Amino acid sequence: MKKILLLGVVATIAIGTATGFAATLSVGSNHLWAGTQSLTKATCTLTGTTQSVDTYVNQASANTSYGTTTTMLVQPNSGSEKRALITFDLSKCSPTIPTTGGADTATLALHVTSAPTRSRTLTLWRATSSWSSTSTWNTQPSLASSSTTTFASGTTASTINVPVTVDADDIIKGSTNYGWVVTDEGSTAAGDTTTFATSNSTTNKPVLTINYEK
Amino acid sequence: MKALSKTFGFALAVTAVFAAFAAAATLALGSTSLSAGNAAVSSCGISSLTATRDVDNSGNVLQVNVSGVAASCTGETLSVTLKSSTGSSLGSASTTISGTTATVTGFGSVSATNVYGYAFAVEGA
Repeated sequence: MKKILLLGVVATIAIGTATGFAATLSVGSNHLWAGTQSLTKATCTLTGTTQSVDTYVNQASANTSYGTTTTMLVQPNSGSEKRALITFDLSKCSPTIPTTGGADTATLALHVTSAPTRSRTLTLWRATSSWSSTSTWNTQPSLASSSTTTFASGTTASTINVPVTVDADDIIKGSTNYGWVVTDEGSTAAGDTTTFATSNSTTNKPVLTINYEK
Repeated sequence: MKALSKTFGFALAVTAVFAAFAAAATLALGSTSLSAGNAAVSSCGISSLTATRDVDNSGNVLQVNVSGVAASCTGETLSVTLKSSTGSSLGSASTTISGTTATVTGFGSVSATNVYGYAFAVEGA
């Protein structure tokens, strides 16, 4: 009787143990790695003479600078073409934008103080060489080989929001920032001048808003 | 005899414990075969990955650039998931690793503004 019971005990433990480890499987030796990276967001708004520089250049007065005026003009007229120049100092953003981050969106707000009589298609170019508020037509910066975007001037005074996300992202990641140039590439006609407020204006100064990750 | 009965009871208890562990690994099976289990797996040498993303002028993610990939991971698959502020997936894409950096495209139309993180997975033989 004792032997039978002892045999039962041994058999029970053995079965239980076998049942317990029956679920262990070999799944091979594949490589597997997983990880995450978190991002935080911030917004930078730049405006005014301490954070931006702007002017315009005039082909008809090729050595004249307009860096202290309250308006900047854009017009297509061959021989008296005018271009607006504007740049912002991204180092003034707080918190500082790290080069490892990037722009989620960036918008350049330009206020038209005097609109042309017919809406113009204006072109925004990235400047690719240095300039200053004293630059003239003869010392204006070179332009990128392709434009950033185009936008309509409209025919009434209003603020135009121009998307510059790709350029801002590029600048954040280390590309040299020479700002932008606004031109009118269209054909010449009377009353085609678009007038924008500058950073010297008391109101409606140009504004660059960057939503970025850091 | 009494001692033997106690021993038998103990044996039953041991059996129950093992059976409980076995039951924890039991899976509901359909009509096809299924295996489950666990084992240690290794990575191909990655300690951490970091990413940046390129955007279009509207702020949509064009591609994610991943750095920190170990050269020994060449040929393995890198998957990247864009995560929202709540941790939900905004889109995923993958590529085959061919160097110490990787470019992943094909996330669809995802606004970078909504991306609050990346989840990475590297898998290979």
